[in-house]
Amino acid sequence: MSGFPRAFAAMLRVNIANMIQYRAEILLWSVWGIVNPTVLYVMWASAAGGSDDGTVAGLDRNGVATYYFSIMIVGHVTAAWDVYEMSYLVRKGSLSPQLLRPILPIWNSITGNLAYKITTMMFVLPMWAVFFFIVRPHFSTQPWQFGLAAVALVLGAVLNYMMCYTVALIAFWATKLDAVGEIYFGLCMMLGGRVAPIAGLPPVVSELAAVLPFQWMFAFPAELLAGIVTTPQEAMAGLGMQAAWVALTIILFNVVWRAAIRRYSAVSG
Amino acid sequence: MRRAIQLILLYARVSVQNFAAYRFDFFMRLFMSFVQLGAELVIVYTIFFNTKSLAGWRWQHMVVLVGVYRIVAGGIRIYIVPNMRAVLEDIREGTLDFVLLKPVNSQLLVSIREFVFWRFTDIVLGLSAAAYGAYKLSVHVTWVQVTTFAFMLAAAFAIIYALWLALATLGFWFIRVQNIEMVFWNVFEAGRYPVMIYPSWVQWSLTFLIPLAFITTFPAGMLTGDSATGVPLHAPLLAGGMAVVSLLASHWFWRYGLKHYSGASA
Repeated sequence: MSGFPRAFAAMLRVNIANMIQYRAEILLWSVWGIVNPTVLYVMWASAAGGSDDGTVAGLDRNGVATYYFSIMIVGHVTAAWDVYEMSYLVRKGSLSPQLLRPILPIWNSITGNLAYKITTMMFVLPMWAVFFFIVRPHFSTQPWQFGLAAVALVLGAVLNYMMCYTVALIAFWATKLDAVGEIYFGLCMMLGGRVAPIAGLPPVVSELAAVLPFQWMFAFPAELLAGIVTTPQEAMAGLGMQAAWVALTIILFNVVWRAAIRRYSAVSG
Repeated sequence: MRRAIQLILLYARVSVQNFAAYRFDFFMRLFMSFVQLGAELVIVYTIFFNTKSLAGWRWQHMVVLVGVYRIVAGGIRIYIVPNMRAVLEDIREGTLDFVLLKPVNSQLLVSIREFVFWRFTDIVLGLSAAAYGAYKLSVHVTWVQVTTFAFMLAAAFAIIYALWLALATLGFWFIRVQNIEMVFWNVFEAGRYPVMIYPSWVQWSLTFLIPLAFITTFPAGMLTGDSATGVPLHAPLLAGGMAVVSLLASHWFWRYGLKHYSGASA
């Protein structure tokens, strides 16, 4: 285990160097993370103007602004894309050398994920600042909410990452995964509180959102950050849900990974 | 002209034959088209679960807009996007030589080589949604509405084609611009909702600088024939003018860019 931190640091360095090489690409990639919540903010602010009491999902114009500014940050910090990448890795056989290493391939992917988030900081921070100064959301979030929001953000990122990677393992059985990726991503958007705040979801959709883990990835950290979660009890319950889902997903990953790896030797031939 | 049509048919036939080898793929994609339209309708349902109007647009108007968005998003993937992707690839690899050597107008040839016919499903689905929305708004949809709508859609496709040709032409100077596609989809994202939701300076920019309004909002507004949407009555005039100007400008730009192409040996 003593070698693990060193291996981790080395893989992180390699991945950061890779990212810096393609900085134009990753810049454009991260722009979507700004455009999408901005468009949705404008849409919901306009929708609030068209409703009877000037609010949507219990949020007024400023509430919508703070929520979507939070979603913008959460979306970036929790980003995961293995479900798009895995089928490519399996098809091209690029996974084989990684499997020979004395460390699980998931760690390489994790460091790649971290590298993306670290290197894009220099693009997204100025863009967040521009949004902030144009829209001027007013936050009434308390210090304790900010503190717990940071924890919730990390848990949300781990949850989305592990779930995304586990779903991506379907690539070991079916090599074309585009549709699965699109559906997973669509569920993140719709049931994760990104297209609409959870409180604004219509029946059936909201019931689905309640039983699936997506809201704990995005909506919950964003609501904490925006100060929509008002009591410590609610916040602690939410963190508990996140932790439970993380534990469940890690177990699921281990089970699926073992089955997948047995399957792989048949594909690589 | 006859030769151009023959060429278009020939390339289309080859593309269809190539694709016929992957029938499972076709059903998968058909299924995904349904899922996409379904998801977009769920979003409209969610919006109007919370509010009555979106900058004057009611749910029927929005269903029309969803339909138009699907028609355009799918429609440009039949010819425009795959062909322009191929041009950028050719410029980068130097294989554009093979196109230029053929005794056919180069702009025509680079625009018809790829044909993704299964995307017609998006057009059918989008048209159904648009028709349903318009019907729910008023049972008597007039011929005037339908013809202006068809005209606006044609203008929208002309504008997007010109825009993409210009983007592809940029490849002559900046070799690695495939990522330009990401920029396009990022901006296109804003077309999911009527431009009237934006502050007036953004609205103006999305109409005259980046003509996004002509691509989704205006055609949808014209089909509804309802002034509550805020689409100006003279929109068809503007769209026609915009289409002609952008087609001419991009044609000129393509010819200008060709002079900068240095070929495979460079």
